Amino acid sequence: MPDLLEKPVTAPTSTAAVEIRNVSFSYGSSQALKDITLDLKENEVTAFIGPSGCGKSTLLRCINRMNDEIIGTRITHGEILVEGINIHHPSVDVVKLRRDVGMVFQKSNPFPSSIFENVAFGLRMRGERNKTVIAQTVEESLKSAALWDEVKDRLQESALGLSGGQQQRLCIARTIAVKPLVVLMDEPCSALDPIATAKVEELIWNLKHDYTFVIVTHNMQQAARVSDRTAFFYMGELIEFSDTKRMFSNPRVRKTEEYITGRFG
Amino acid sequence: MNQPHIFHEIDNAMTGLKDKVLLMASLTRQNLERAIQALLTRDLDLSRMVIGDDSDVDDLEVKIDQQGMDILVRFHPVASDLRLVITSMKTAHNLERISDHAVTIAKRAKKICKSSEPLETTIIEPLYTMAEKLLRDALLAYTDTNTELGASLKSCDKVLDTAHKEVVALLSSRLENANGRAENLLHLILVARSLERIGDLAVNIGEDAVFLTEARDIRHSQLKESPDTGT
Repeated sequence: MPDLLEKPVTAPTSTAAVEIRNVSFSYGSSQALKDITLDLKENEVTAFIGPSGCGKSTLLRCINRMNDEIIGTRITHGEILVEGINIHHPSVDVVKLRRDVGMVFQKSNPFPSSIFENVAFGLRMRGERNKTVIAQTVEESLKSAALWDEVKDRLQESALGLSGGQQQRLCIARTIAVKPLVVLMDEPCSALDPIATAKVEELIWNLKHDYTFVIVTHNMQQAARVSDRTAFFYMGELIEFSDTKRMFSNPRVRKTEEYITGRFG
Repeated sequence: MNQPHIFHEIDNAMTGLKDKVLLMASLTRQNLERAIQALLTRDLDLSRMVIGDDSDVDDLEVKIDQQGMDILVRFHPVASDLRLVITSMKTAHNLERISDHAVTIAKRAKKICKSSEPLETTIIEPLYTMAEKLLRDALLAYTDTNTELGASLKSCDKVLDTAHKEVVALLSSRLENANGRAENLLHLILVARSLERIGDLAVNIGEDAVFLTEARDIRHSQLKESPDTGT
């Protein structure tokens, strides 16, 4: 069983970075996901859309086993493969999995430490001790997150002093510093103003050449702008999954049409 | 039948837009009918009325474009809503051009009216009948989202094209011995050309009606399968 952290993990068996196969998931007796199957392609942005409670965030959190932390929840059927590896295989280290499948949350959550240490944290956790390597990686990550020019002169200042948009980009820099395979984003712009939102979207667009993104969003325009493919969920079911342009110009399923045009009653 | 939007203002805006297109269509058809009547009955006043009323059609085109822009800016429509806005704006543009052709016919009618020479204006009547039917069917395809009717207009237009060629050939043959009627015959040839163009513009409206309902672009046969929309 290859270590998910060792790169390259394996030569990809398909163009799908994540393969979700017939996944059903329950919170206790309540079924949140019903037989979901979809592939998340490498170097693409996939958007999950749907009304509240439809299961999109649940599925997102399944991909890096964040739901393991919630007592009484379980995948009742199916499997999820990251780069061809079943993430529930007993030999998979969950901590390493979460490094390879990073996550950016709705509310930015920088650590109460310096800007530099926020980005260096993952590297140190991975066992990196070389200060030059750490400094280089921090700089590269902040540059990739389009934050370097704004913080390069105050790297030792508290990250909590940054604006909301800067904090969210710092969290993205922190996530990509450990070079994940996949970046999961759960409504990353819901608390940001339009300028900060545009910067995050520009970031996603530029970084997708190196990473695979999955973004949960309630903002239809955001899904249309940044994603290559879109999945629409309703009551735990995957209703439609297709090319984003197709989804927003001519969806195949009537329920999708009703949802995206605001006719959902 | 689509469900209403949760935000009812979107339905109001969409209905308002469509109503304006229907009003514009009605005025355009009226202008065309009056222009032909002016020609056939040598009615100078009716010709002037057509020329004057064209500005109402022009105004409506501008209003439809403005309302379409407003809807795009305010509601960010997608899917069938987006197609309705795009199609309505394109239909308004085609209707404005049809009304311009009605004005062209009215202007030719005015010139023919002023001449004392008799002219066989009824020769172009079958062309008008065909062009008017094409326009009526195109508008029905738009209002009733009738894709079959919309897609059928191309073949009907070919019949109009053939008839147009025959009429032009007939009128041209008469030019040789026209004596003082040559100018009027040329006016009639231009009227025939306007009717032929109206047929083409009606086909455009029918094709847009197919796009409105099925998101299928049938404008050019080689582009029937659009990779972007997956159709």
